[in-house]
Amino acid sequence: MSEAGRRGPAAPPGGRRGVTLALVAAGASVIGWLAFGPAEGERGGGVRDAAEADGALTLSLVEAMGGGDDAERYARAFEPRPFVFPADHAAHPDFRTEWWYVTSNLATADGRRFGVHFTIFRNALRPPPESAPDESPGPEEGVGAEEDSGPEEDPGAEWRARDLYMGHFALADATAGRFTEVERFTRGAAGLAGARVEDGRAFRVWIDEWAIESVNPPEPGAAGIFPLRLVAGDPGAGIAIDLVARPMKPVVLQGKDGLSQKGDEPGNASYYYSFTRLRTEGRLVSGSDTFSVSGESWIDREWSTSALDATQAGWDWFALHLDDGRDLMVYRLRGIDGSSDPLSEGILVDPDGSSRRLGVDDFTLEVLERWTSPVDGAVYPSTWRVEVPSADLALRVVPLLRDQEMNVTVRYWEGAVELFDAAPAGRDGRDGARSEGASRAPRVGRGYVELTGYAGRAPPGR
Amino acid sequence: MSLLGRASRRFLLRHPGQLALTLLGVALGVAVVVSIDLAILSSRAAFAASTETVAGRATHAIEGGAARLPDDLLARVRREAGVRASAPVVEAYAMTRALPGRALRLLGIDPFSERPFRPWLGLGGPDFDLTRLITDAGGVVVAAEVAAEAGWRVDDPVDLIVEGRRVTATLVGVIGEGGDLGGEALRDLMITDIATAQRFLARPRLDRIDLRLPEGAPGEEAAARVRALLPGGATLAPAGARAEEMAGMLGAFDLNLTALSLLALVFGVFLIYNAMTFSVVQRRELFGGLRAIGVTRRELFGMVISEAAWTGVVGTVLGLALGVALGRGLVGLVTRTINDLYFVVSVESVTVTPILLLKGGVLGVGATLLAALPAVREAVLAPPRTSMVRSLGEARARDLVPRLGWAGVAVSLAGVALLLLPTRSLVVGFVGLACVVLGIAALAPVSTVVAARLLTPLLGRTVGILGTMASRGVVAALSRTAPAIAALVVAVSVTVGLGVMIASFRATLIDWLDYTLQADIYVAPPSAVASRSAGTLPPELVQRMSDTPGVAGVSTLRAAEVPSEYGELRIVALDLDPRGEAAYRFRAGDPATAFARFRAGEALLVSEPFAYRHGLGVGDRVRIPGAEGVELPIAAVFTDFGSDQGVVLMGRVVWDRLFDDAGVTSLGIFLAEGARTREVIAALEATVGADQAVFINSNRRLREGSLVVFDRTFAITGVLRALAFVVAFIGVISALMALQLERARELGVLRANGLTPRQVWGLVTAQTGLMGVVAGVLAIPAGLALAVVMIFVVNKRSFGWTLEMTVGPELLVQSVALAVLAALAAGIWPAWRMSRTSPAVALRNE
Repeated sequence: MSEAGRRGPAAPPGGRRGVTLALVAAGASVIGWLAFGPAEGERGGGVRDAAEADGALTLSLVEAMGGGDDAERYARAFEPRPFVFPADHAAHPDFRTEWWYVTSNLATADGRRFGVHFTIFRNALRPPPESAPDESPGPEEGVGAEEDSGPEEDPGAEWRARDLYMGHFALADATAGRFTEVERFTRGAAGLAGARVEDGRAFRVWIDEWAIESVNPPEPGAAGIFPLRLVAGDPGAGIAIDLVARPMKPVVLQGKDGLSQKGDEPGNASYYYSFTRLRTEGRLVSGSDTFSVSGESWIDREWSTSALDATQAGWDWFALHLDDGRDLMVYRLRGIDGSSDPLSEGILVDPDGSSRRLGVDDFTLEVLERWTSPVDGAVYPSTWRVEVPSADLALRVVPLLRDQEMNVTVRYWEGAVELFDAAPAGRDGRDGARSEGASRAPRVGRGYVELTGYAGRAPPGR
Repeated sequence: MSLLGRASRRFLLRHPGQLALTLLGVALGVAVVVSIDLAILSSRAAFAASTETVAGRATHAIEGGAARLPDDLLARVRREAGVRASAPVVEAYAMTRALPGRALRLLGIDPFSERPFRPWLGLGGPDFDLTRLITDAGGVVVAAEVAAEAGWRVDDPVDLIVEGRRVTATLVGVIGEGGDLGGEALRDLMITDIATAQRFLARPRLDRIDLRLPEGAPGEEAAARVRALLPGGATLAPAGARAEEMAGMLGAFDLNLTALSLLALVFGVFLIYNAMTFSVVQRRELFGGLRAIGVTRRELFGMVISEAAWTGVVGTVLGLALGVALGRGLVGLVTRTINDLYFVVSVESVTVTPILLLKGGVLGVGATLLAALPAVREAVLAPPRTSMVRSLGEARARDLVPRLGWAGVAVSLAGVALLLLPTRSLVVGFVGLACVVLGIAALAPVSTVVAARLLTPLLGRTVGILGTMASRGVVAALSRTAPAIAALVVAVSVTVGLGVMIASFRATLIDWLDYTLQADIYVAPPSAVASRSAGTLPPELVQRMSDTPGVAGVSTLRAAEVPSEYGELRIVALDLDPRGEAAYRFRAGDPATAFARFRAGEALLVSEPFAYRHGLGVGDRVRIPGAEGVELPIAAVFTDFGSDQGVVLMGRVVWDRLFDDAGVTSLGIFLAEGARTREVIAALEATVGADQAVFINSNRRLREGSLVVFDRTFAITGVLRALAFVVAFIGVISALMALQLERARELGVLRANGLTPRQVWGLVTAQTGLMGVVAGVLAIPAGLALAVVMIFVVNKRSFGWTLEMTVGPELLVQSVALAVLAALAAGIWPAWRMSRTSPAVALRNE
């Protein structure tokens, strides 16, 4: 009955890509118990209770989606493509997975710190109809035609789901020392969840009442889909946000003109672009209190059909806002043997929006401290030293809260971090960073870190 | 064991036949009550279980009514009303050849919304591919048990008829245990994705949205936000409301069954009374002797009452076992009727609850003790000497006759008064009925005396001395014969009265079918509930059928159940061919204008049960919910036996105004002059597409089918009637046994004086025959009264309709013949025993 036993090697979790992929691989369990585990509001600590309580978590989403033949029936990322905005903000149903990913570092006027992680994932439940190959990768509309119902119109078309949407929403409240995460699943049908752009500007990705959407009507002088409103909440968990985000820099294409190669095999890649810095303000709820907050956000957009190779285990990903206006993104792909993959890379975005791609040799990541998950003893790195010599950057990256583990279907760590200068004197920064004085070093920025593939198996205990 | 105890035990063991009769009486009485209780409880429990399975943990539900709910309502409920714990439901019945005679509840759900509602569906199980259920356009799952029964395996194609549509589904998995609800809850279910359900039904809408609202003020606020989103005709109600309402439809049905079962218990009590009295009477001398040698009254009381208690306990235990066994048989009849008339329910196992057994036990033991009290009294109160004198008791009994007679008259009159009360209470009706029948039964002694007086000279002249002896003997042993006659009166009157009621009902129904089935051919999709229709015929099919050669005209009917202020309201939209007007006979309203106003959409026609139930009449206004809703006056009240809940008829124009739904539930087709039914049916069948399941019936076949349903409905009444009669019959046997055995000495003397066994036989038979005649004659008014009350009070109050009473002269014949035959049959064994007893043995008692 063991999920892992039945499915062979455990989920190969990756970054947020990994989250989605792991979802695909680990399976089926995901849908199974998200749909049938205990009801919302009946949870104790996160969703873990559900996972432990319910042994019957297996489903064959793997067979439905994971097979190689199956991947062939989806579009794949082989080469750079021309991005068309705002159409590309909407869903790309010909690809298997896709996400709209927002992390925000926020604070009240008197300095109370919050981290917000709000992501909507799309997973195709089945390949696009064979007759209509990757013709228009444009916004999702009119999907769900019946392959097998003949020429007749399907009266159930409105509900026929090709996509499953998953929402993750987490709030880190530094003052209260509290991290709260919620997860939800909804079919991409009947208006319940979707991602589309209407009238050439009105963008909306939503899962029930959670949404990332263009402010409507548009503000005077607003460009494209911006500003964006971010709405999410869970009364049972006592967290909510209602934020507005305005980009401070233009879109950045990641990897090679937006093609982000993740595995050696051709096609194991994603299309990936970011808005690295958005001024963000609004209100959030933590527990029984509502706060006016402001700060900065990072938005990632990525879609793919297959990304990681089988030999890859996970992903350490850093999205950092430096106070000097520069944004740094680096990620390290980890092999199952713990090695760093040569495909690891990054990007450095200047205050004016110009960017420089970083190769695997352009940066170093060093783990300084580790943290053990109370859930099952999984050990995560917890403090790092990040260096980009060519940019004269040496940073000590410290979590806002140690425990920012997303204890959801596929567990991963996604947390707000603080950046401290780790090169106080000369170039002997390494020792300096380890010294006691380092923690009193000036704070030079904030960011978000994602760690996957540490809490190996999902769900825990199975 | 004390001496008294041993004496008691020895006596019982030495009279095994007598003991067996007593036990049988207790057991049968208890068994009938328990079995009916069990059948009712089990069908209720099965209904509740399937309702709970389907409703899940919802606190509220949005019901769409006839127009159903738009697909986007769920998204709005979540986004605009902020209620995320919400689940869409599409529901229908699916029939399949693999499970004949059963309807599966096809539940179309969104698995991702199910978590707060129906975790027991177990869609996360290991043998189960949820992705396929969602993505396979025909994927369905059933409980493993159902799959095994139907012989389906995963990946098998499954042919279904869903609301008149033939569809081919694929079994994509099986579900297991039903969680905390148990497997039983899943055995009628077929789960599918909501999109698939809509495809099967060709119906892109939702039937229902289940909600979980928080308690208290936040819940009320959420409910208000949800209500603000609802389209016309949709309602938000607590989750159990609809199920309760459906279960409530069975109230009258259940009560009628319970009343019948209590009747059996009454006969059982009579039987016990007889047996106990008999066993005491037989030991009169023993008791007298015991008292004479110093046994106290208290000790004697203890002895007899403990005998009664033991008999009661043993008989009751037997009765409970028998009742459970009988209940298993009856539950089929009960659920068959519910399925025919009300809704689909299927009972796998009977639900034997401790309460049920306790109730049966208390009833059985209590009734035994109660029935034994007169006997105990007789044993205890008599002084030692007189207890040996039989004639004293008889003298006292005869003194009672006039008083009992007057009491009978008074009770009967009280019963009549109760029946005349302007109430709709069914219980009051039954109590009144019981008073009338028991009152008439109480006239048995006085009638016996009068009859004997009238007949003695006649018998003396025709049969001679033996005839006179026979008739006077009946009066001489009045304390024995009168209760037997009374029991026979009640048994025969119940049998005859119910018979008259059923015959009247059947005759009324046949008459009604004659004029209500005006069309020559009827077309409708097959339905899971015989008296209701599910699914619709598409307008194109209706058109094709209208255009079929040989068809001169068509009436269309569209039926739907909608939530309304009257509870679940059955509305029927008619587009009536002029030839079809004769199908409606009005009990109130002006036939000349009613149809014109009805056709114009200005007024409604309501059935008699509807008018009765809601206290409405011609001119009153009825509100029909719908997208807009409409309120129209009643133009006429028509006779209808199709639904005891009542129906409201509207012109098709009104329907079209209310609902965007061109479907038709059934068609009545009128043939052109000279067209042959069979040929037209064949032509009509050719117009039906391969994806449609349609029943095309001739007028005659529909009529026959309706009568089959009717007869099935009354099958359980027939069974109960027979059971009650059997119990009463056994009572009469034991009464006669007592009588004859008591007279053993008398007969012994007669034998010693030269009476041949044959003459003894004749004497006994003449006596019982005489008793039968008296009972039969008395049973005529009692049975008639019973029939009148059943027809005009019980049926009206239970179901709201008025039956025509049909009584032929055969009632008289039937009644007397039944009573005499029963009495004679009951007398055979005692007579045989008496005639065989040698005079020496009979006299040895001296």
